[in-house]
Amino acid sequence: MDFGLNQIQREIRDLSRSIFKDNVTPEKLASYDEYAMPRFDEDLWSKLAEAGLLSTCIDSDYGGSQFGFMELALLLEEVGRSIAPVPLASHCLSMMGIQKFGEEKIRKKILPEAASGKILLTSAFLEPMNNNPMSAHSTSYVFDGKNYIISGRKQAVPFANQADYILLSAANGEDLVVFIIEPGAAGVSIKPLQVTSFEPQAEICLNEVTVESSQVVAVRDGSTLVKWIFDRMLSLICMHQVGVTDAAMKMSASYTSERTQFGVPVATFQAVGHRMADSYIDIECLRLTSYQAASLLDLEEEADIELQIAKIWAADVGHRLSYSAQHVHGGAGIDRDYPLWRYCLWLRHNEMIVGGSSYHTQQLGNLIASGRGLFS
Amino acid sequence: MKIQFNTEQVKLKKELREYFSEMMTPALKEECERDLGEGGGPLWRTALKQMGRDGWIGMGWDEKWGGKGLTPLEQFIFVEEVMRAGYPFPFLTTESVGPILAEHGSDFLKKTFLPKILSGELIVAIGYSEPSAGTDLASLKTTAIREGDDWIINGQKMWTSLAHFADYTWLAARTNPDADKKHKGISLFLVPNSAPGWSCAPVHTLGGIRTNVTYYDNIRISDAYRVGGLNEGWKLITSQLNRERLSLINFGPCSDLFNQIVKWAITTVLPSGESVIEQSWVQANLAKVRAYIECMKLIVYKQSWAMTEGNLDMADASAAKVYGSEAFIEIYRLLGEVVGYAGLIRNSDEICPQASKIERLYRTASIITFGGGANEIQRDIISAAGLWMPRASR
Repeated sequence: MDFGLNQIQREIRDLSRSIFKDNVTPEKLASYDEYAMPRFDEDLWSKLAEAGLLSTCIDSDYGGSQFGFMELALLLEEVGRSIAPVPLASHCLSMMGIQKFGEEKIRKKILPEAASGKILLTSAFLEPMNNNPMSAHSTSYVFDGKNYIISGRKQAVPFANQADYILLSAANGEDLVVFIIEPGAAGVSIKPLQVTSFEPQAEICLNEVTVESSQVVAVRDGSTLVKWIFDRMLSLICMHQVGVTDAAMKMSASYTSERTQFGVPVATFQAVGHRMADSYIDIECLRLTSYQAASLLDLEEEADIELQIAKIWAADVGHRLSYSAQHVHGGAGIDRDYPLWRYCLWLRHNEMIVGGSSYHTQQLGNLIASGRGLFS
Repeated sequence: MKIQFNTEQVKLKKELREYFSEMMTPALKEECERDLGEGGGPLWRTALKQMGRDGWIGMGWDEKWGGKGLTPLEQFIFVEEVMRAGYPFPFLTTESVGPILAEHGSDFLKKTFLPKILSGELIVAIGYSEPSAGTDLASLKTTAIREGDDWIINGQKMWTSLAHFADYTWLAARTNPDADKKHKGISLFLVPNSAPGWSCAPVHTLGGIRTNVTYYDNIRISDAYRVGGLNEGWKLITSQLNRERLSLINFGPCSDLFNQIVKWAITTVLPSGESVIEQSWVQANLAKVRAYIECMKLIVYKQSWAMTEGNLDMADASAAKVYGSEAFIEIYRLLGEVVGYAGLIRNSDEICPQASKIERLYRTASIITFGGGANEIQRDIISAAGLWMPRASR
């Protein structure tokens, strides 16, 4: 039982924190507000690549730094703390999926370039009105003896327009296959969506897209791959939320300590202090459950129950903290010249993405009803 | 970062689980249930001494004092398992008073008390609160006045739980009424409950549990029974309370209760033909309870780890107390909803074997939000020590 960070983990945290601190400023973030331009800082992306932070979980054979999932998770906490405009989670998870499930030919073709940041990857597993990527209802494929023909619709695809390759799942009856497609392929249309957080997201429509066998990442274990990535995606969303919530809480603590009313700092009013104390407890719960889930995945252990619990907290705490932080700022928080409001957008994004609190509570309830999740 | 037990800890947990399942005979179980989780009965006493002989008490104590020198984590695993088994373990004596005595007590006190605590022969009650000193504990009025080599103690204490069967009271008394700050004039004593002038009257509570008001009428004790420095009792009180806070949110019984209720809900069929757990709201309630307990578990494990590393954070200790106490209440409410009307029945477990326990636990749970330091004060500590927010002077 170790809740501390080891030497490497501390270094990764400190290095990324200082890169983000120097490069992610409110002025820079302001340039992406209201979709003025795609929220992707390519200079920062190059700096992360140079520092070896894009390839945290990638083997050295492909130019990676060969650390574990926990290190990536801690990196995402720092992305959250700074709300840095970089597609780290989607890029890294796509790489990791290819590394774990793809054939050597595909790995060699894609991973070195992805690890160095020359090309960008993303994944398209989610579908409209369906939070469960293990059952793809809206995207299907047929195999014509030589090629795969894919049709359907994917939703909430981060950075689809910026990506060079997209990992995409499609079903044929019970079988789920994961392909690599190029955004410019015939039959692929990408419709950008403007979402709360300003992150570039898109809906992808596939109209009889022809895919060669060489572009298949996983055939027989397609659903295993999707689950493997999706588990880690959930985990990284929670870790990102840990960073966002912590930053917003600290901003609120500082603000209330400086802002005076009736001649005293508003922090000295017990009602304000207690609301912040509740935020502190909330975030501790979110942090511990998120670290636990990441730590299990790091060991390649099953974490179904722990992930659901972490996501319930990520959703609930995101919602509660957003309103508490705004409330104790009493007006300053909604002013777009003050940095809090962008954090609130991300709190909401992480709350809702791949299902909110009630959804995951029900998912956890299903697991319990099936006899899982008893305390040992 | 690795939030899993190691092999030895898993083994220890298993060993303890087996030990306690053997120890908890039906007769002992019945006696513990009769005493509403307080203990004090003859079988309870015998079992405690047996635990002492088998070397289970004070696992985290220094080997020098007869402990096993294990970390707070193993110590917590022990408390978790003993409580889970339904045995009201006197953890204030063993986990809180004992270690503080080992650290601050004189050689005489250590030699007199520590072996007896370790062998399960000596129970200590805590005497802090008074009728007019609760949250503002430092304003306590019980006095100890020096007379030669002795002290004469006079006063009254509230909520002296276990006092009716405990052997000693860990008593905070004012030894310097003229100190510039009121918390600087307090010392700690171990007062024998058999001393002439000591008396005790029951206070019956909402949850059925008996606690006490205790009276100290010209009790004469030797200076040898004073713990720590003269007028330096406040430090011992706060350090004792920090340890107590962690023990208060033991989730062992709660996790077992959750398991039992889940099994009941899966196997119990409603008159409508569907099982209890097929109702979506039941699943949602159980999921919420599961998520609450998981956090409680992680919080105490983290704190036990932090204690092992020697960096227990004051704000985190308070956060654990607030979270745990409020989560318990919510957990009992949610589980109570699952068993429904059975959760109001005290004398029958015909519908659900755990229902009457939930009926009682719901009533007893309100104690912990103010006991062991009111949650408001804990929240003050969190915003000040955890977030560096200034606080109003009191």
